[in-house]
Amino acid sequence: MSITLITRDDFRILSVLSDLGGEAIVRDVASKLGVDASALMRRLAELERKGLLSLSKIIYKKYVITDEGRRYGEIGLPEERLLRLVEGRTSFTGLKRRALDIGMSENEFKIALTHLSRNNIISIRKGIVELTEGAHLASFNETRRLLRSLLRMISTEGEMMEEAIPAELRSALREATRRKLLRTRQESLIKVKLQRDPQALLSQGMLKIAEMVTSLTPELLASGKWREVIIKPFELTTEVPVVYPGRKHPYLEFLDQIRDILISMGFVEARGPHVELEFWNFDVLFQAQDHPAREIHDTFFLKYPAEGEVKDEMLVQRVKMTHENGWITGSRGWGYRWDPRRAFRLILRTQTTSVSVRTLYQVKNEVVKVFSLDRVFRPEALDATHSMEFYQCEGIVSGPDLTFRHLLGFLKEFARRLGLERVKFKPAYFPFTEPSVEGFVYHKKLGWIEALPGGMFRPEVLAPLGVTNRVLAWGIGIDRLAMVVLGIDDIRDLFSPRLDLLRSKPVKILPVFRGGGADALSRG
Amino acid sequence: MPLVEVRISDLEDLIGKRLPLEALTKYIVMLKGEIEHVEGDILEYEATHDRPDLFSAEGLARAIKGLAEISPGLRRFDVREGDSEVLVDKIDYRPYVACAIVRNVVLTEEAIRQLMQLQEKLHMTYGRKRKKVSIGMYDLDKIDPPVYYKAMPKEEIRFVPLDMERELTADEILRLHPKGIEYGDILRGKKHYPILVDSQGVVLSMPPIINSEDTKVTVKTRNVFIDTTGISLNDVLQLLTIITTSIVERAPEGYIETIKLRYPDGNVITAPQLNERHMKLEVDYVNETLGLNLSMDEVSRYLAMMRFGTSRRFRDTIEVIVPSYRLDVLHPIDLVEEVAMAYDYERLIPELPKTHVTIGSIDPLEFFSRKVRDIMIGLGFQEVLNYMLSSKELLVHRMRRKAFQLVEVENPVSERFSVLRDSLLPGLLYVFSMSKGYGYPQRIFEVGDVAIIDPSKENRVREERHLSAAIASSKVTLVDALVVLNSLARSLGVPITYAPPSGNKRLPSFIEGRCGLILLEGREELGVVGEIHPEVIENFGLTVPIAAFEINLDKLLMTYEKIHAS
Repeated sequence: MSITLITRDDFRILSVLSDLGGEAIVRDVASKLGVDASALMRRLAELERKGLLSLSKIIYKKYVITDEGRRYGEIGLPEERLLRLVEGRTSFTGLKRRALDIGMSENEFKIALTHLSRNNIISIRKGIVELTEGAHLASFNETRRLLRSLLRMISTEGEMMEEAIPAELRSALREATRRKLLRTRQESLIKVKLQRDPQALLSQGMLKIAEMVTSLTPELLASGKWREVIIKPFELTTEVPVVYPGRKHPYLEFLDQIRDILISMGFVEARGPHVELEFWNFDVLFQAQDHPAREIHDTFFLKYPAEGEVKDEMLVQRVKMTHENGWITGSRGWGYRWDPRRAFRLILRTQTTSVSVRTLYQVKNEVVKVFSLDRVFRPEALDATHSMEFYQCEGIVSGPDLTFRHLLGFLKEFARRLGLERVKFKPAYFPFTEPSVEGFVYHKKLGWIEALPGGMFRPEVLAPLGVTNRVLAWGIGIDRLAMVVLGIDDIRDLFSPRLDLLRSKPVKILPVFRGGGADALSRG
Repeated sequence: MPLVEVRISDLEDLIGKRLPLEALTKYIVMLKGEIEHVEGDILEYEATHDRPDLFSAEGLARAIKGLAEISPGLRRFDVREGDSEVLVDKIDYRPYVACAIVRNVVLTEEAIRQLMQLQEKLHMTYGRKRKKVSIGMYDLDKIDPPVYYKAMPKEEIRFVPLDMERELTADEILRLHPKGIEYGDILRGKKHYPILVDSQGVVLSMPPIINSEDTKVTVKTRNVFIDTTGISLNDVLQLLTIITTSIVERAPEGYIETIKLRYPDGNVITAPQLNERHMKLEVDYVNETLGLNLSMDEVSRYLAMMRFGTSRRFRDTIEVIVPSYRLDVLHPIDLVEEVAMAYDYERLIPELPKTHVTIGSIDPLEFFSRKVRDIMIGLGFQEVLNYMLSSKELLVHRMRRKAFQLVEVENPVSERFSVLRDSLLPGLLYVFSMSKGYGYPQRIFEVGDVAIIDPSKENRVREERHLSAAIASSKVTLVDALVVLNSLARSLGVPITYAPPSGNKRLPSFIEGRCGLILLEGREELGVVGEIHPEVIENFGLTVPIAAFEINLDKLLMTYEKIHAS
């Protein structure tokens, strides 16, 4: 056995226990030490872990005196009192009168009669009461004496454990409880018993009295003194200070996961300018110059700088001809006079599709999958459901053999990786795609939500860029999806400047990063 | 997108058959419509902008008759040459007018309501609130042709406008009539107003504001005279086509009659122009685009369901006849979508391409930003997110900077969001100002884009990716900011140094003598660091010291790449 360290206080507990004969009830130890029993219990439990003592629970039966029992203990049992009045033959009524005269109640009189006659001490015949011939008076008186002694003894204590009652009186317990002169109560007590003699351990050097410290210090470690001290146990329910970790912004964390999803699907990220020429935002996308989306209600125009340029004049010419008469695209065109000054006006981009067409202009007919995840702007007043600035998640897939069904495949797969398993598709209209589609996703609480707009870029968009591939494209208002996934119902909260809100949002992990990915693999 | 309300009973009368509601709504969805609500006999749907022919019950019924294969294929219109004329005056600000007649119409109250709705939806969309095109319909039997389209001195114009009981002058109409109040701006300031008037001097209308009560279309009207006026001949003719082909659906025994428009330059145009167009469509093109394997017969059938004519098949090519009211069909790709719609999108099976293998990657600056964000988070900073749109008040005035040109929006909705931010720090201070009492220290950062005017760029703006961080705490000093910067630089293996602002350059947002420039390789300016000026702190309504820095991540990434290239 190794050396055990205990505090001076703990050693005192052991000493007291030793004085009490090495075994005692916790309550008695506590009162002897003058400490609170529940506080002492924690110390005793600790000492038990150290193997110095053992604790056990004992269940005791206790007898508690009732009011009736207390009275009979004092003035005698009713049958004793009545027997003293019976002399020879006595009339019943005379006996009763005399009983009442000495202060017996009607009830006590009745009880006394019952007991005396049941034990065959008296007999009642034709209104005459007389002592029975050959009655066992001696033994009757002896059992009454025992019962009365028992009642008296318990009366003085109020209650007594069974073990504390002298053996000769225990024979009366049964009658006393039956007659409700005593009632029983169960009580548990914790008994503590020394395992070893503390003084002996101390003198053998197996036990050492040590100092208690609240925490380990470099000094204790360096000096090695930690071996001689006891480190104070810590109460785990203690309130501790709140600390806010450095954390990602919840919305950006969501967007990072969207990025990871798209990268896992083989998409390359592209970026483009927020300040854009109408040319890239609308004209290249074959949106006619008088299209309502190009009016001040739907587009932020710049006051300064107001006009940009496109250095590739051939591209400008091709776009112009496509708008005016369809150029070589096989289209009729819009049949109006295209104005380059209008195209060179600067705006805040209204759609990240401008990034997609800038990318296509660069990569021409390479087989690519490209996404952009960035901000766009619309002249909306900021409220719970509208924002003048929001994120769009744009994707294009370009290749020679792509089909419309592949577009639906990508939309469905993207939704699935967001944890939105049910998707349905309806025809839709967007100015720069044909065929176009609107994908609806099913949400448990909100039902079918319009979430995945897409289409195949029109020939009028692709030909001027020099692209002969077929190009699948989609542009998702990711704010709305983020609100659904993050459980936010005010769009302003995505950009909340309140730290309490940012600090309190739990980390939200998309299903695909919670094992949904492996699931995806197993399903092919 | 326009909301269109129809009565199911009227729609069924036009279709000529009762259809279960589910079938009806399914067809509307197949035509890109979105059902808004159905209540009793009323059905409301949102039509798409590209299909003005579906802005009323007439066109919708025509389309459904195709989808339900009640009468698939091309709708042919009975068009007869008429001898009515419209004499067109020279009106510079609204030079074009086109007219048509539909005879033997049968109009119910609902039919009139539908035609009014069609007219109104066309006004709002294609008509650009009547600025570009406006439409009028009249009872022909109350008119004595020829009709004149002319500019009249506004003082001479007097007539009873629609829904009024007395004659009003032109100016009274603009002032008193609801439509005059709504659209009067198109005419205001002109001395002459355009007017349509018949040979007897009966005023038909004062386009684009209001028709006359005298020539109003009612349930008794048998023959309808239609006009469209506007600023482009093409648009005027196109909307005339939509409205004429819709009205004629209300004339089972009737026909369309043409009108000669005599323009002041001697040109004579016959309207309406309901020419069908022919377009070639290859079946392979349809199948390759949609990923289907349809036969020529199937493609033809789906086109017919969408009410296109098909004729003269040659090898794999179908010659498609596009009706005049299908303004949206510009290219054969539009017909491909029509095939897909009739095939039914819900039957298209989504599929991922099997050969289109690409390797995904994140944008390098985005990846670098992510690393920088990770380091900042490791240093105990909370990430925040602000709008790029901001205000001069926040970016310039509150920051004690001298006024300078920011990227500025012409039509802001609110002054609060009227310029693009050129730095992130003001946004961080704004977050502090909105987070008073949420426990200090507050350590926050943002990585985001800012915009700076740069005439050398095609879009005249240079966008930069910045990182800004700020600490608000009762005991904060410049040291705390420098500790973070040094730690960040060390983590990336990019050495940085500091120098006081050089020459006459000042950093007005910081305390003088307790701020400086952050330099890369001893010369290139990476950013600024310092203790925020007490006046700035006051401007944000704060009472806590703040230390902060802002750096350019594009530059940091460039140097990082240079250092780690080998």
